[in-house]
Amino acid sequence: MDELLSNPAIQAGVAPFIAGLVVALALQPLRLGGLAAAAAFLVAAQLVSGIQFSPLTATRKIVLLAIAAPAVGVLVDFAFKPTRLGAVLLALAAGAGALWVAGPVLAQRPAAEAWILGASAVAACAFLVGFSQLWLAGDAVRAGAAALALGLGAGVAAIFSASLAYGTYGIALGAGAGAFLLPQMLMGRRSHAGGTFTLPAMLIGGLIATGAMVLAKLPWTALLVLALVPLAVRLPGPERAPVWLQAVIFSLYGFAVAGLACFLAWP
Amino acid sequence: MKAVVIAAALAAPLTAAAQAENYAIDPFHTVPYFDIDHLGFATMRGRFDRASGKFSIDRAAKTGSLEIEIKTADVSSGDTDRAGRPRTRDEHLRSPDFFNVQEFPAMTFKSTRVVFRGDEPQSVEGNLTLLGVTKPLTLNLERWKCGADIRTQGKRYQCGGNASGSFKRSDFGMKLYLPTAIGDEVRLWMSFYGFRQ
Repeated sequence: MDELLSNPAIQAGVAPFIAGLVVALALQPLRLGGLAAAAAFLVAAQLVSGIQFSPLTATRKIVLLAIAAPAVGVLVDFAFKPTRLGAVLLALAAGAGALWVAGPVLAQRPAAEAWILGASAVAACAFLVGFSQLWLAGDAVRAGAAALALGLGAGVAAIFSASLAYGTYGIALGAGAGAFLLPQMLMGRRSHAGGTFTLPAMLIGGLIATGAMVLAKLPWTALLVLALVPLAVRLPGPERAPVWLQAVIFSLYGFAVAGLACFLAWP
Repeated sequence: MKAVVIAAALAAPLTAAAQAENYAIDPFHTVPYFDIDHLGFATMRGRFDRASGKFSIDRAAKTGSLEIEIKTADVSSGDTDRAGRPRTRDEHLRSPDFFNVQEFPAMTFKSTRVVFRGDEPQSVEGNLTLLGVTKPLTLNLERWKCGADIRTQGKRYQCGGNASGSFKRSDFGMKLYLPTAIGDEVRLWMSFYGFRQ
C-alpha cells in the first residue's frame, strides 16, 4: 500500500481526483461542492510529506492557508452578500498571505530581487483571488476551468523549476478542479462555485507558483502569466452550448495561458 | 617543600587549561559526503563542497566538543549540465523536495559528548539540525591523527581524520520519493582537518 501511495501519479492525480470527486458529489446539495479543490490539494500534501506545521516552512504555511481558505470562502458565501469591497478585501488578504509565505525567504535575497519576487507574488495572488471572486464565483464552469488550468499550469511549471513536490501540489489542485467540473459536464447542470471554490482554488494555485518561484526556480514572469488564467477564461464563449462543451472551451482558454507560463518556466 | 607544593598547586589549573586544545576546522579539506539508495538498484553519492566549525579536545579529562556547519547550497552530485532537461539533479537537490536551501541554507552538527577509547576520541555523539529539525546523530571516527602539518614545516599543529554516521531523512521531514524511489537511510562520511588555535 505504501508503494502505491508513493507513486507520483497516485499522489498528484488519482488520489486527489477521487477525494475531490467525493467531496464535489457529496457536498453539492449543500452548495459546498467547491470544497473539492482544497480537498484534493490537502490529500496530495498529506501523501507527499504529511500535514504538519513544525517547523513552519513556506510549504507548510501554504498548507495552513489551504485549510483556512475554504472556511473563509464558506463564510463569505453564506454570511455575506458578494460585493466589490468584499472581493478587494479578499484580494488584500491573499496578497498578505503571499507575503507571509514568501517574505522570510525573500528577506535573505538581494533587495532588488526580493522586491521583484515579492511584488510578483503579492500581485499574482491578490489578482487571482480578487478577480475570481468578482468575475468567476458566479460561474462554476468558468471557475472550474480556471482552477483546472491554473493548477495544471502551476504544477507543470513547478516541475520545470526543479520541484516535483510543488509540481504534485499543482497537478493535484488541477485534479480537484477537474473533479469539480466533471459532474457538471456529465449532468449538464452548473453547480455552485462561490467563494467556497474560487477563494481556496485561486489562493492555493497562486501560492504553489509563489513557492516554486522563491524556493525553486520558477521565473517571476511565469507567475504573473499564470495569474492571467482567470482573465483568459472570462473571454467570450458559446454561452448556449452544453455545459461540457463550455467547460472544454473555457479550459482551453486557460490552458493557452498556462502553457505560456510553462514555456517561460522551461530554462 | 612547602614552596614546591604551593608552586604545584598554582600550576595545576594552568596545566589543565593547557590540556584542552581548540581547533578551527579547515574548510578546504573538511568535505562531507553522503550516499543514498537510488531506486533499489544503485547507491548514489553526493557531497557538500566545504564545511566550517571548530572542535576541542581534552585528553586528560577525556572530554571534547565539535560544532560543524555545512552549507547545503554547496550540495553537488556531479550533475551540473542540464543536457536538454529542464533542471539538473543538483538543482533538484537544492529545491524544497530535498535540502530546501532557500529556507535552510545550512545544516549543523553540535556534539553533546565525545566518547574516548584510551587517549583518543572514538566517536562523537550530538545533534544534527537539518531542515529546521534536530535529531541525535553519532559520528564514528574511522581515522584520527594529530601531529605537525608538514605543509608548514611543522609550525602548525593539526588533527584530521574521517568520520561517518547515518540518519533517516524522513526524521527531518525530507519525505519525497519514499519509500521506493530514493532510500530513507542517508550515510554521511567526511574527511576533516582542524588547526590548533
